[in-house]
Amino acid sequence: MNNGIYGIEIAWLDAVIRLHIIVGLMTVVVMGLIYVERKVLARFQQRLGPTRTGPAGLLQSVADGLKLVGKEDLRPRNADPWTFELAPYMVFIPVFLGFVIVPFAFGMQVRILELGLIYFVATSSLGIIGWVMAGWGSDNRYAMIGGMRAAAQGISYELPLVLSLISVAMVSESYNLNEIVLSQSTYPNLLWQPLVLVIFIIAGLAELNRTPFDIPVGESEVVGGPFVEYSGIRWSFFFLAEYAALFIMGLIFAAVFMGGWAWPLGEELGRGWQILLVTVKTSLFIFLIFWIRASVPRLRIDQLMAFSWKILLPLTFAQVLINGAVLVYDAPLWILTITGLVGIAVLVRLIERAVRPSPAISNEVVTAGNEGAS
Amino acid sequence: MVIESAPDFETQDLLINVGPQHPSTHGVFRMILEVDGEIVKDLIPHIGYLHRGAEKLCENNDFRQGVGYMDRTEYLASHNAELSYVMAVEALAELEVPERAQWIRMILCELNRLSSHFMFLGAFGVDVGVFGTPFIYAWREREALIDLFEEISGDRMMYAYFRAGGLAWEVPGNFEERVREVLVSTRQGMKDFDNLLTRNEIFLARTKNVGIISAEDAIELGMSGPTLRASGVSLDIRKSEPYMYYDQIDFEVPIGTNGDVFDRYIVRLKEMEQSVSIIEQCLERLNDGPIMPERMPRMLRLPEGQEVYIRTEAPRGEYGIYLVSKGGNKPWRLKVRSACLSNLQALKKMSVGQYVADAIIILGSIDIVLSEVDR
Amino acid sequence: MRGIIKSLATTMSTFIRGPVTHGYPSKHRELPERDRAFPLLLWDKDIDEPFCTGCHACERACPVECMTVIMKDNPNHESQDGNSKRRKIVDEFWIDYGRCMRCNICVEVCNFEAIAMNNTWSGHETSVYDRADLVMDLPQLMAQSKSDEIQEWVAD
Repeated sequence: MNNGIYGIEIAWLDAVIRLHIIVGLMTVVVMGLIYVERKVLARFQQRLGPTRTGPAGLLQSVADGLKLVGKEDLRPRNADPWTFELAPYMVFIPVFLGFVIVPFAFGMQVRILELGLIYFVATSSLGIIGWVMAGWGSDNRYAMIGGMRAAAQGISYELPLVLSLISVAMVSESYNLNEIVLSQSTYPNLLWQPLVLVIFIIAGLAELNRTPFDIPVGESEVVGGPFVEYSGIRWSFFFLAEYAALFIMGLIFAAVFMGGWAWPLGEELGRGWQILLVTVKTSLFIFLIFWIRASVPRLRIDQLMAFSWKILLPLTFAQVLINGAVLVYDAPLWILTITGLVGIAVLVRLIERAVRPSPAISNEVVTAGNEGAS
Repeated sequence: MVIESAPDFETQDLLINVGPQHPSTHGVFRMILEVDGEIVKDLIPHIGYLHRGAEKLCENNDFRQGVGYMDRTEYLASHNAELSYVMAVEALAELEVPERAQWIRMILCELNRLSSHFMFLGAFGVDVGVFGTPFIYAWREREALIDLFEEISGDRMMYAYFRAGGLAWEVPGNFEERVREVLVSTRQGMKDFDNLLTRNEIFLARTKNVGIISAEDAIELGMSGPTLRASGVSLDIRKSEPYMYYDQIDFEVPIGTNGDVFDRYIVRLKEMEQSVSIIEQCLERLNDGPIMPERMPRMLRLPEGQEVYIRTEAPRGEYGIYLVSKGGNKPWRLKVRSACLSNLQALKKMSVGQYVADAIIILGSIDIVLSEVDR
Repeated sequence: MRGIIKSLATTMSTFIRGPVTHGYPSKHRELPERDRAFPLLLWDKDIDEPFCTGCHACERACPVECMTVIMKDNPNHESQDGNSKRRKIVDEFWIDYGRCMRCNICVEVCNFEAIAMNNTWSGHETSVYDRADLVMDLPQLMAQSKSDEIQEWVAD
């Protein structure tokens, strides 16, 4: 499949060309995503969103970008110069590396790696270092708290995310994203792994620092967290990384759970249809994330950690064990569907039990009648 | 297993300055948090950034001019603030307020309570961390309410509509229909909030058993309003010392049991339902008549050497006016008893030992208006 | 989880209901007739002079002292072979919009119904670069009434 693009057979030149295409694509997609997010969130909130720049505000991202480029690049006097100035790259580069493996269509990726999924997880988790660097280097207490929160959250949610991807890889019997997609040409993995799908979305939200897990950047608490001292182009790097990560997560979701370009129309489609299919699936994931962002409050840091370690992690472990048992003994795959649905029920039950008031304290609001007031 | 803490491993507590320019300090409130990790060890509130000397200004203005300054002490519930002031003046001047004026005042005060509580819901929702949605929902409904106020009084926030003796001018002809119309949208807004927040597990996890204050502590700190009632004290001045015609109205006082952030939220939401029912009852009893007493002096002068303390139930609690007259057309001394200031005293007690994120929502749940705290 | 799904359903219902805001600077909401912006002076079209006699009533009643009035003998008075019944008339009038708190008291105290609150959008969109530009003089205060731009509302 790595036959080279435009007939170029030199491997490294081919890779460089592909990378450049990806960089261009990513920038455009990020600008589009920022616009779409603002419009979609506005619609959820019965607002209009951007309307002033260009028709229906379409040029808003361009205007924002120009403004950011034009802004002064500020650095606090007491900031650690190296950490402060390198942090945006440390956040951005790992996200960008993730684009190496994502398949947009049959044969349309930079490289096919045999350990693609592992590579994705490994690169995406590197970003945390950048967050901590930004938090520490800014010499700002909000930033420091934000950075520490990012580290704690990133490490905690890495595990459920990895385990959920591993259990999917078990079913597809490969770490290679291309083969995972091909293995789903008749049935997508979400049929066999409903629980893992839910956990992937939850852990993905946490990895992306999106509501309800936007604790590191929580505006009403730490005023933007690690980014609080950044301005101009450096700040826009964080933004770029955030939305690029969102885009990658959507692509991974489409490839791993929804069957990428192979499901439901088979793998014999033309390139255009494949890209459209992947786009639709990715958009679905991204829309879901926007939707959640408009609807739910933020968790607290201790609840976040408890949720990861006490609920998500055991459930994913259980799923991995069940997957193993089913695959080793060649049991039919629908058993996995049933256990997955049971797992979702358990998850829902656990969440609801966690917020149920303890019997000692009743939270019923009683209403004093006319005679009760004195 | 007991984990022994290493004695020579000393960590320093972190001081964080929150405000006066922080996204969630509700105005120019400033607090200094001493945090150990994520736990608040100490909290030092700083107030006074919005002090304008409203009380002193009122002492240099006559009783009509003073109304405008009262608006600005409580800009989210200006009608309620005006009400206390004009009632204090009326009590000293022994003015009999016409019945129609009283009913209209009651309707407007309750509508203002609705708009103020919507503001609370919106800001609180954002504090808890929903990205803007509750704020816009609240704004949508509050917009309908302040549009109505604008049609009546001409202004959206600083109404200057109540006068000692009655009202500045008659309400528009379609007043009743408009109020009923607004109540329909208000109901929808309350339902939206109920659906959005009340049963959301994350919201429950964030608000339940957080920032608890017991009834005894709440009483000792002089708290009032929904913040006090959430702790289970059934004290509502509309019930305990009915003013205007609240004794003729059938309504209930929602109280909480736990005194936590969730109770403060739900008590306000239930209170809004009661307000809607009060307004409907008032509309039924609204009749034609004058809106000012017949023999109203052109320049109101108060008798010498008298003083009065009038308190009313504003959306945030007891809004009291202490007025001393030494004759003439100006108060000799005017003191605003602010519910927000007293309620704010509880902030430290509620926040210490909680998480940083909790301190923010506890502040939000007290629902302060800084211009009332600082005056 | 059921609560979260309920929240999601709520936001979806508002998604479907559509926006309630409108693009403000390009689209203006209709203002009610009682809308209060800043005070304006009114122009007596029959006699072609201001209603205001410069009696200082509003100046004295203003809580924030934002007004300055200077009175003069009316050159157009009947005794001077004019057609006006006003013996005195306003000579100069300044209102500092930066100080005005829009309390409507000046309108209430005026005996000649010579002052009214601007109830058009022009009264709300008064941003300037210099505070001194907010001090309005007599021609500026008269302009809108002269050109029939406002339909003033004065409480009885």
